[in-house]
Amino acid sequence: MKRILPVVLLLGLPLAAQEIKMPPGLDKLAAKASEVVDVNLDGALLQLASKFLSDKDADEAHVKQLVGGLKGIFVKSFEFDEANQYSQADIEEFRAQFRPPAWSRIVSARSKKNGENSEILLKTDNNQISGLVVIVTEPKELTIVNIIGNIRPEDLRDLGGKMGIPKIDVGGAVKQSDKKNNDKKEDEK
Amino acid sequence: MKSALLALCLASAASVHGADREFNDIVRAISEEFHTRPTTIPFFGIVNVFAETLRPAGTRHIDLAVFEHLSDSVREGRNLPEMIQGAVGHSWKPFVKVHSYKSGETVLVYMRQEGPKDWRLLLTSVEREEATVVQLRLNAEALAQWVKDPEHKALRWHGEVGE
Repeated sequence: MKRILPVVLLLGLPLAAQEIKMPPGLDKLAAKASEVVDVNLDGALLQLASKFLSDKDADEAHVKQLVGGLKGIFVKSFEFDEANQYSQADIEEFRAQFRPPAWSRIVSARSKKNGENSEILLKTDNNQISGLVVIVTEPKELTIVNIIGNIRPEDLRDLGGKMGIPKIDVGGAVKQSDKKNNDKKEDEK
Repeated sequence: MKSALLALCLASAASVHGADREFNDIVRAISEEFHTRPTTIPFFGIVNVFAETLRPAGTRHIDLAVFEHLSDSVREGRNLPEMIQGAVGHSWKPFVKVHSYKSGETVLVYMRQEGPKDWRLLLTSVEREEATVVQLRLNAEALAQWVKDPEHKALRWHGEVGE
């Protein structure tokens, strides 16, 4: 605990939520964004939701197992009408929180074609995964996903589209547009 | 029979009385911002008589305030999401926030646990023409449905109430 406290204070994280800190530059992005989505699910809520996931349905049972090890899911996404509304300095300031040895970048994918960059940063404590952060930057979109708890990067694919987590292709990118298309399809049902 | 009729009359007369302070504070904040009052919904109290008995979708109580024709109002120009956050205070946890500058739509959802099996959701949606404040008293299963797909659920609820 003595080791954890200074780190938490250093990052400015509320102890209860363990949310990552949004630098002022990124917080101000909300004013420029055409759409902002903020989802905050703490551990108690996740455990509650997992109780109502079916054990009989294979997919739900798998998600239930995954969610059982989580202490929080925090998603923040910005969508812009025009490109380049945020600076790389804003992203760097945000990224600077995730330093070794606690944090390690395990995936970094860049696409010159559509200007999409995605990275996954993994947090470990005593050789145990204790959380991860996904940062996806596109010219007109910025998405940050913070999952606290025992989660493997490959589990992101199964959690995508659930609990407010956008669909994530590990090594690829967060497909917000896919998520919206899925939402539309669900609305049409 | 008389007592049932009396209960119905009392319920139908009830509006936002009995709602949490935070609900009333949000309604007041919107009223002050737009210089308007919520639309009266006749016999809305009856909804709660049925909700308490039938628990539709795990909901046992609903408080609702709807503001219409907001574009006709002269706004104070204050930051509404900040005002709502101020009115809600710390006992409610922020749950989902969706803000679309394009459509001028803001949806803010807060939640609070009332007991081991009782939860409350406080939803505020503000559009150019209309604002809605809803407080739901839910069971755990109903809340779990929200947690499974919070953003979509918030937007869908907003659409359903706003219609």
